[in-house]
Amino acid sequence: MTTVIPQQKSGTYTFASQPRAVPQRKKYRQDPALLQQNDPSAPYGNIMYDRRIVRGNTYAQHTLPANAQPDPIEVQRQQEARRRAVARKRAKDQLRPRSPEPVEGRKHIDVQTELYLEELSDRVEEADVQVQTDAFLDRPPTPLFVPAKTGKDIATQILEGELFDFDIEVKPILEVLVGKTVEQALLEVMEEEELANLRSQQRAFEELRNAELVETQRLEEQERRHREEKERRMMQQREVLKKERETADKIAARAFAQAYLADLVPSVFGTLNDNGYFYDPVERDVETGFMPWLMDEVEKQLGKSILSRTVLDSIIRDVVKERMAAYFELDHSVMDEERATETAQALVDQKLDGETQPTTESEKPAEETEAAEPVITTEEPETAGGEEEPKEEAEEPAAEPPAEGEEE
Amino acid sequence: MANHQQEVDLTRIHYRCVVESLKALLTDPDGTVRHKTTEVLYILAGHNIGRDAFLEYGIILPLSNLFDDDSDIVRKNSHMAIEMCCETPMGAGGVVEAGLIPKLVDKLKTEVDEIKEYILDTLHYCMRVEQIQALQSGAMEVFTDLLNHSMKIVRAKAARDIMDLSVPLDGKNKACEVEALVPLVRLLKDDDAEVRCKSAGALMTITITTQGKYEAIKASAISNLVVLVNDENSEVRLNALKAITTLSEAPEGRAALLKHVELIQKRILEDKSEAVQRAAEIAVKVITWKP
Repeated sequence: MTTVIPQQKSGTYTFASQPRAVPQRKKYRQDPALLQQNDPSAPYGNIMYDRRIVRGNTYAQHTLPANAQPDPIEVQRQQEARRRAVARKRAKDQLRPRSPEPVEGRKHIDVQTELYLEELSDRVEEADVQVQTDAFLDRPPTPLFVPAKTGKDIATQILEGELFDFDIEVKPILEVLVGKTVEQALLEVMEEEELANLRSQQRAFEELRNAELVETQRLEEQERRHREEKERRMMQQREVLKKERETADKIAARAFAQAYLADLVPSVFGTLNDNGYFYDPVERDVETGFMPWLMDEVEKQLGKSILSRTVLDSIIRDVVKERMAAYFELDHSVMDEERATETAQALVDQKLDGETQPTTESEKPAEETEAAEPVITTEEPETAGGEEEPKEEAEEPAAEPPAEGEEE
Repeated sequence: MANHQQEVDLTRIHYRCVVESLKALLTDPDGTVRHKTTEVLYILAGHNIGRDAFLEYGIILPLSNLFDDDSDIVRKNSHMAIEMCCETPMGAGGVVEAGLIPKLVDKLKTEVDEIKEYILDTLHYCMRVEQIQALQSGAMEVFTDLLNHSMKIVRAKAARDIMDLSVPLDGKNKACEVEALVPLVRLLKDDDAEVRCKSAGALMTITITTQGKYEAIKASAISNLVVLVNDENSEVRLNALKAITTLSEAPEGRAALLKHVELIQKRILEDKSEAVQRAAEIAVKVITWKP
């Protein structure tokens, strides 16, 4: 619509806009949102009928200022104008020729000079007039608008039988009416019947249903009871069977135990017998008392004999030792002598031969055997002595037991 | 006429806006508006589409809030509407899910007689779907009290509800606990066939348990039931025979019933209803069973 005002650096101001049709003056104000969407096809009005355009003479028009508030400058100017007018009037008043001032002591009075005198008084003639408005009456209804009669009055009259025959004409209408009514009634009755049928069917069904329901429940109950009964019976049977089995086991156990134990007594007795629990007291006594004592005594005797033998052995050993020692010394002395002689001889031999060494070696074993022989000979008397002793000892113990036997 | 009009209109009008606007009107302060709204909802619930709409748009809960309304007619209509709605299993499921059973049982204690009928019906359909909630809210005691009511319809429906409630095992035990058997046996001699029929039905469900059997025999149910075998109403005969069957499972019952076996055997041959014949056969079989 309006072109952008071109900004000019110079002081002049220009404005240009596209010529456009003036839109019609709107009665109501527009929604400010819609104002943005001012479409170009807005209805434009005919300027001939636009109230905003001034018509007629313009030189005698009182136009209101653009804004409702009077410009303060305007207000001021008007006030000034008023004041000036008042001042002017006053001035004019003063300039008006007046009658001369009254002479001293006199006063000017206004006098009526008309034909008829009027009574001048301050009292104003008053007349009281009362007016009372009626209470608000309801607005009477507007009288029916009866348009003025125009045209002519014409009357016609339809006589009987002229237009149609009522009886004939009414038949089809009646038929239809009655037929429809009857049909409606029939429908309703049928509906009710149907409903009644449905209800009775429902009842019958309910009957059956209830009966069946009860039957099923009863059968269920029966089943349940039978089952429980069965269970109980089976439990009982099981108990019975268990008891029977137990008794059978018990009997079997008893029989077995009896059989087992029947053999027990003799075997026990036999074992006890075998183990020597049943004894002849005398025999036992003899065995337990006498025999150990006997054995002890025997031991003692044997001990004594052994002791004596060992003593003898030791005596003999001592003796033999002494003798051996004696013989040894003898041997040694002899040997020493021999050795001395031999050495002397050897020296002599050496001096003589000095080569025949093996002869010394053969002489040594000969010496040794000689040494051994006396030993053996010394041992023989020992053994000979030993042989004599056991003979003596055997005689002694043989003498002792009989002595012991007699003692008892 | 109104029924028809509604049906035709419903199929034409998009029911959504109808139902939603009705829902809004349920809480209107004006009684007449509520009255008419509940009436419309009642008619709506009579149609399949309507019931579906009930469930889809969750009308059940706001409607049930009207159970506490001051105006009788509003309460009556709302109960009727709910009862209509839960005649289908899905509707009953919806009502049960909305947790209405305890509320209904409470209302049963305090409501007007007319409305009690509808509540009993509603509970009957709900209990076809689920019984535990009802048991927990103490419905058995309430029903037992209602067995002594003056109106025969209420007695009959209470007996029928006891029968429904005794289907699960807990229900049977509760019934014995609450001593529902004595009034039920008394009702066997009632004048109204419906009452007799339903009380025999209740007896037949309760006497399935052993405890139920013995309580019933103690309350001298057998003699009354035998009388009912020759009743005119086929349902009465059927239920009586079933009750006799359950009672004859107990040894005392069997001993007492052996005397009446011929009576029952006659029924097998000459009864018109097939179900009764079958039931009579089974009864005879059970009575003459030897262990």
